[in-house]
Amino acid sequence: MSSALLLQSLILGILLGGLYALLASGLTLYFGVMRVVMIAHSAFLILAGYLAWFFTVQTGLDPMISLLITVPLFFGIGVLMQRLLITRLKPASLTMMSVLLTFAIALVIEGMLGFTFTGVQRRIRLDYGASSIEVLGAQVAVVKLVAFGLAALALGSLWFVLKKTSFGQALRATIQHKEAAELVGIDTAKVASYGFGLGLATAAVGGTALALDATIYPSLHWHWIGPLMAIIVVGGLGSIPGAAVAAMLLGVTQSLLQVPLGTTWAQTVFYVALFVTLMVRPQGFFGGRLAQRF
Amino acid sequence: MSEPLLALDGIEAGYGRAALVLRGLSVHVPPSTIVCLVGPNGAGKSTVLKVASGMLQPRAGAIRVAGDDVTGRTPQQMLAAGLAHVLQGHSVFPEMTVEENVRLGAYTVRDQAVVEERVARVQEIFPIVGDRWRQLAGLLSGGQQKQVEFARSLMMEPKVVLLDEPSMGLDPKTTATVFEQIVRMRDHGTAVLLVEQNARRALEAADVGCVLDLGRVHISGPAPELLADPELSRLYLGGRPAGV
Repeated sequence: MSSALLLQSLILGILLGGLYALLASGLTLYFGVMRVVMIAHSAFLILAGYLAWFFTVQTGLDPMISLLITVPLFFGIGVLMQRLLITRLKPASLTMMSVLLTFAIALVIEGMLGFTFTGVQRRIRLDYGASSIEVLGAQVAVVKLVAFGLAALALGSLWFVLKKTSFGQALRATIQHKEAAELVGIDTAKVASYGFGLGLATAAVGGTALALDATIYPSLHWHWIGPLMAIIVVGGLGSIPGAAVAAMLLGVTQSLLQVPLGTTWAQTVFYVALFVTLMVRPQGFFGGRLAQRF
Repeated sequence: MSEPLLALDGIEAGYGRAALVLRGLSVHVPPSTIVCLVGPNGAGKSTVLKVASGMLQPRAGAIRVAGDDVTGRTPQQMLAAGLAHVLQGHSVFPEMTVEENVRLGAYTVRDQAVVEERVARVQEIFPIVGDRWRQLAGLLSGGQQKQVEFARSLMMEPKVVLLDEPSMGLDPKTTATVFEQIVRMRDHGTAVLLVEQNARRALEAADVGCVLDLGRVHISGPAPELLADPELSRLYLGGRPAGV
C-alpha cells in the first residue's frame, strides 16, 4: 500500500468513524437510560434520509435545512414512543421485548417508505456533490467533510447537553443509578422519555448526514443495524464516549481494510470486533465502570 | 417530649401479593436524635425506610413529618417534605465527579446562592468530600463514597436522613469513621433513622434503639439500655453481652 493511499484511507476512515459515532450515539443512549435495544434506530436514520431527500426535491434547498423540521419532529416521536409504547413493556422483560417491539416499528417504517416513495433508489443531488478538495495531500470529497462536520457538530451538542445542562445531569444520573436519581428528586420517567427523544433526534441528524453521500432505499436500514449494534457493544452498552471511540476505531479499521480486502470483506470488521468483545470482555472495552454493571 | 420529626404509626406494607412485611409498625424520630432499627434478616428494616421515603406505599397506617400528614406521597414529595434516603450499598453516580454528585443532591433547588451555601456546609461537615471534589465518585473507597452519599443527602437540608445499612461492605476501621460522620450529622442538627445489620456497633452510636421482629417494633428504648440488656444481647446482638 502506498503512503498516499494509506493516508487517503486513514482520512476517509476518520470521516466515516465520526459519522458512525453519531449514528451509534442514539442507540447507546436508549440502552443506557432504559435498557431498550432499539432495532428501529437505523430505520429512523433512513426515514430522516428520505425526509431530507424529499425536502430537497420539493424545495430545491439544501437538505441540511430539513433538520429544522426533522430534529424537533423526531424528538417528539421519541418522547411519544417512549411514553406510549416502551413504558407498556414489563420491566422484568423490557430489554427482550423492546427488541420485538422496535423490530416491528422498523418494519412499519420500511413498509411506509416503500409505499410512499416506492423501492426506487434515491440520491440527493447536491451542487457540491462531485467536488473534492485536497487535505494533507489526499483527495477528499467535500460531501464527506460536510457529513463529518454535521456529525461532529451534533455529537458536540449532545456532549454539551449531557455535561453542561441540568437535564443532562439528570439524564446521566438516571443512567448511572436510577434509584438514587429518584431519591434526589429527579423525575426519572420524564427524563427517560426526553432521553429517548434525544436519541431519536440524533437519528434525524445522522440520517441526513448519511443521505448526503449515499444512495438510499427503504430496506437500507438492515445493512446498518448490525454494524451499529457491534459498535455499541464494543464501546460498552450505554456509554456514549465508549461508542464514539469504538466507532472511530472501527471506521478507520474498515477504511484501511478496504484497500487490500475490498468493501464487502472490510465490513466484517464489525462482526469480528463484536465476537472478540463478547469472548474476552463482554462489558465492552471503553464503557468503564458503568458498563460493568450490565 | 417535643413532637417527633418523623412519625410512622401503624404501618402495614409489603411487596406485590406476598405476605405483609410490616404489620402495624410504629417508630418515632425526635429532633437531633439517632434512632436505630435492628433486628434479624427479613424483619423488615429496609422496608421501613422505603415506606418513609415514598419508594413503597404503605397499605395502612400514617406517616407524619413534623406533624404534617405525608402518607401516600411520591419520593420527590417526601424529599421536599424533609426526608432524605441513603440507599444500601453504593449509590453514588460513579461516572460523575464528587462535585456533580453533591450538587445533584440539590437538583430541585433553583436558587444558586442557596446551593453554594449548602455546598460550603456539607464540605465543612465532611472534609473528605471537599478534598476529593474533582474526582470521579466511582473511584473513591467505599467509606469515602458513603460520605459523598451523606453529603448529597444533606443538600436538601432534610429534617431526617434515612440511612440503610451504611456500614455494609466496609472494614471495621472505615465503619467507625462512617459512624462518626453519622454522629456529626446529628450534631449539626439532622435527625437520623438508621437501619443496621451491625447491630451492636450501630446501637453504640445511636440514641434510641428499636428491635424489629416479624414486622413490628418488639422492644424500644434508649440505646445504652438495650446494649446492657443481656437477654436482648443473646437474642439480637450476636450473643455477647455489652462490654465484652
